[in-house]
Amino acid sequence: MFENLKVFQMSSAMAQHAAARQTVVAENVANADTPGYQARTVASFTETYDAETGYAAQPGQRATRSAHLHGQASGVAPDIREAPDQGTMSPNGNSVSLETEMLQAADVKRQHDRALMIYKGGLDLLRASLGRR
Amino acid sequence: MSFSDILSVSTSGMRAQADRLRLVSENIANTDTPGYRRKTATFENAVDVGQTTSEVQMGRVKLDQTASKRIYDPAHPLADPTGHYDGSNVDLVVEIADAREAQRSYEANLQMFDQTRQMSAALRELLRR
Repeated sequence: MFENLKVFQMSSAMAQHAAARQTVVAENVANADTPGYQARTVASFTETYDAETGYAAQPGQRATRSAHLHGQASGVAPDIREAPDQGTMSPNGNSVSLETEMLQAADVKRQHDRALMIYKGGLDLLRASLGRR
Repeated sequence: MSFSDILSVSTSGMRAQADRLRLVSENIANTDTPGYRRKTATFENAVDVGQTTSEVQMGRVKLDQTASKRIYDPAHPLADPTGHYDGSNVDLVVEIADAREAQRSYEANLQMFDQTRQMSAALRELLRR
């Protein structure tokens, strides 16, 4: 485990992924009344995380806009795509459902908390092995 | 990944909803003003150079062109020969419904803001030990 500290890589990737999801959810909520706006989602963490290379996606990473890569230091970012139609289209062309977004937001918080907990657990383990409290 | 980007997106959402509520209040206040035309506005994407996230803002205010109510009152100073004058075209039920929706969206944006703040606080907490 200590050779490449995989657990730290994975949990920090998970936290970054949660932050990317939170951005998309916040954008959807802010644009919940904008005519013609299509709700967006992020590919799940299992789809974007490659255990071999750390936080990477399949080659040929797509994004709806290149600016959505959010300037990641690792160079790749989760795939942001338009959400499939769930029958929530309003007359002005807006497809955002506030309830769905709230549910997403709760899930994002859980994912972020879990990632930080794992990271903290790993740090505690390292500290214990070093003999420091 | 910058949390401040997310915070400014949610802030722009709150500001837009507050502007919408302002229009609703103006409409309700002028329900009885003769000749008043209801104000409406739609939201649009706020394009800002260097931004990676899309913010929202209220677009141009437009006047609703539906017909005004014709009110019968021969004693009114503005009454025409038939005794009618033009009221406003504000429907209170529509305005109240709009206000409710603006409030709901505002609270949703506020919740996003709060959650983002909590997430970044949790990250800082990690560094503290």
